[in-house]
Amino acid sequence: MNAKANKNHVTSIEPAYYEAITEAIRKEAVKILKNETVVGVVGYLPGRRKGTASPALVTTVEEAEKLIFSPACVNNLSVYLTKAKKGVLKQGKVGIVAKGCDMRALAGLMTESQLQREDLFIIGVVCPGVYGFGVQRTGTLTEENIARKCRECTVHMPEGADVAAGTHAELADLTPEEAEEMARIEAMPQTERWAFWKEHFSRCIRCMACRQVCPFCYCEQCLCDKNRPQAVESSPRPAGNMAWHLVRAMHLAGRCGGCAECERVCPMDIPLNLLNRRMAQELKELYDFEAGLTPVEKGPLNEYKENDDQSFIK
Amino acid sequence: MPQIITEQNLRNLIDLLVKEAKLVVGPKLSGSVVLYEPLTAGSDLTLDALPRRSSKELFFPICEDILSYKRENGAMKVSDMDRSKFPEAVLIGAPPCDAGSPAILDAVMSWDYKDEFYLERRRKSTIVGIACTKGDDACFCRAVGLAPDAEAGSDLFLTPLKDGSYACKAVTEKGQALVAAHQNLFAEGAGAEPKPFVDQAVEKLDLVKIKKWLEEHFEDPLWEKIADICVGCGACAFICPACHCFDINDEGSTDDGVRRKHWDACGFAKFTNHASGHNPRDVQNKRYRNRIMHKFKYYDDKFGKTLCTGCGRCIRACPVGIDIAEILEQINSK
Ligand code: SF4
Ligand code: SF4
Ligand code: SF4
Ligand code: SF4
Ligand code: SF4
Ligand code: SF4
Repeated sequence: MNAKANKNHVTSIEPAYYEAITEAIRKEAVKILKNETVVGVVGYLPGRRKGTASPALVTTVEEAEKLIFSPACVNNLSVYLTKAKKGVLKQGKVGIVAKGCDMRALAGLMTESQLQREDLFIIGVVCPGVYGFGVQRTGTLTEENIARKCRECTVHMPEGADVAAGTHAELADLTPEEAEEMARIEAMPQTERWAFWKEHFSRCIRCMACRQVCPFCYCEQCLCDKNRPQAVESSPRPAGNMAWHLVRAMHLAGRCGGCAECERVCPMDIPLNLLNRRMAQELKELYDFEAGLTPVEKGPLNEYKENDDQSFIK
Repeated sequence: MPQIITEQNLRNLIDLLVKEAKLVVGPKLSGSVVLYEPLTAGSDLTLDALPRRSSKELFFPICEDILSYKRENGAMKVSDMDRSKFPEAVLIGAPPCDAGSPAILDAVMSWDYKDEFYLERRRKSTIVGIACTKGDDACFCRAVGLAPDAEAGSDLFLTPLKDGSYACKAVTEKGQALVAAHQNLFAEGAGAEPKPFVDQAVEKLDLVKIKKWLEEHFEDPLWEKIADICVGCGACAFICPACHCFDINDEGSTDDGVRRKHWDACGFAKFTNHASGHNPRDVQNKRYRNRIMHKFKYYDDKFGKTLCTGCGRCIRACPVGIDIAEILEQINSK
């Protein structure tokens, strides 16, 4: 079901490319609503301000005809399919627009028995990239305004979707900024690395936006909200912040699909995806496992095997 | 003759205030974001960006200790925080949407219960506001009764002039006192033209009409439509200059610890969760409705003020693009 198209490398991605994707999404959304394949489609609508878009749950043909795809369509919409957030699924089969990186979250949620494939109609987007934050939101996507995660994207072509919107285009020769930043931090002596994160976490205001947008933070009772007894200090102070971010990183290890939404939404610019990527690297090295590529029976961290390495148990 | 201060003298003023052991807070680059932070010198002041969080935290910190407890020889010893130690403070460089917020919050903080932590900081502070020349398409201060050159809430008000200096107006006695104490930094002058202010996309809202609609539409499909996509974080409230909800938590052990007051937000699912387990705002649409109701109806009912300065921060920060100005426009056009 992959889009079969010519791979072409370009230096900027013109609005026309996104307009073509928009057309394809609208056509498909209208079709599946009309023939009652789905009860609704989770997609994007334009925002009031220039270069913005927001998630939308559309249930009528009229609304579906307004759906868009543009470089402003940054959200990972799969969060709306988790029980913690919405549960639109309970009304029936749902359509969802998914970029390659969002597909990983869908696969992960299937792995965790949060979603059933047959309950979804996935409109995959052959995605050339989206805007980063704090950049010029003009029509053309270029090396200057593309999101960090898109610089190293390996999933431009969504796999396992019901249909794919778009042909293949991607920006050529982008500097892998995130990988470079990871390497820079890895190379630091431990004390310096500790100071780096301490400085970042000191700015955290515990708004929990990072948790609330994460498709994998679907627990109804978060450990970090508990106050009798209090497991993690809920006040935004250095100790509690550090604990919160450690809990978050550990709970997402082997699960995080790498959509970088947590980092995008942080009003304090804390580079959370570096932590996610570091945990993913660990999983790759230890278990040769990458989360969210395809749904699997069990992830490595919730499966027990007789021959697991047990040397760490003293 | 109006008074003028050059940018260099404004920075010199900060240096002097720091020397006088005052707490001087202003926009400062902190990592990749500009925040209101204590300035150690005039050169720390950044004047070209709206800080990511509002200046309310000078009076209402993200987190503060309100008492500490310790078990000593079997008895619990409780000590209040000594509020007399709060420093004299000067807030410098706050645009009208920030400078105006304490004037709004005073009402709720000195109502049936007097929040002495907030009020003591207010008594000891002077606000130097600055006319705003750097807005974007999220700003809508005019629509809520302020303006890029509104003096409301400022003790001393600065207007950037085309020649790089600032016209000064002492709005209150505190402002006059600040100028009088540092008279040599200010000069008499006719002054150049003020720098232009930016246009705002949403300029007009009929707040009376909006309030009336809210009064009549506690139940309305609009709430569901918005809340369908709201993910229930605290981002919009935490960075808002007017939101003032807090939670109180005891943190520490049973023998030794601190009682802390810290920001909370009505967007969170647990905000109104009762000890019984009942939650009157059990779904997100009731929570978002509360946000709009509190800002544009309840606060007005009680204190005759709108709980929003139009700074646009919540619009810029909302992870899912919920745009309060757009919602108000929608209600306004009903
Ligand atoms: S990471 Fe890939 S799939 Fe995701 S938004 Fe960027 S380019 Fe698109
Ligand atoms: S989004 Fe940022 S500031 Fe908010 S809780 Fe997460 S890390 Fe902290
Ligand atoms: S942890 Fe962050 S990057 Fe990973 S799935 Fe959650 S939001 Fe996406
Ligand atoms: S509600 Fe939004 S626009 Fe109004 S003061 Fe608060 S953050 Fe600013
Ligand atoms: S809008 Fe919500 S968070 Fe803000 S002050 Fe009102 S109740 Fe509190
Ligand atoms: S409106 Fe936006 S910022 Fe506010 S709680 Fe909802 S998702 Fe979070």
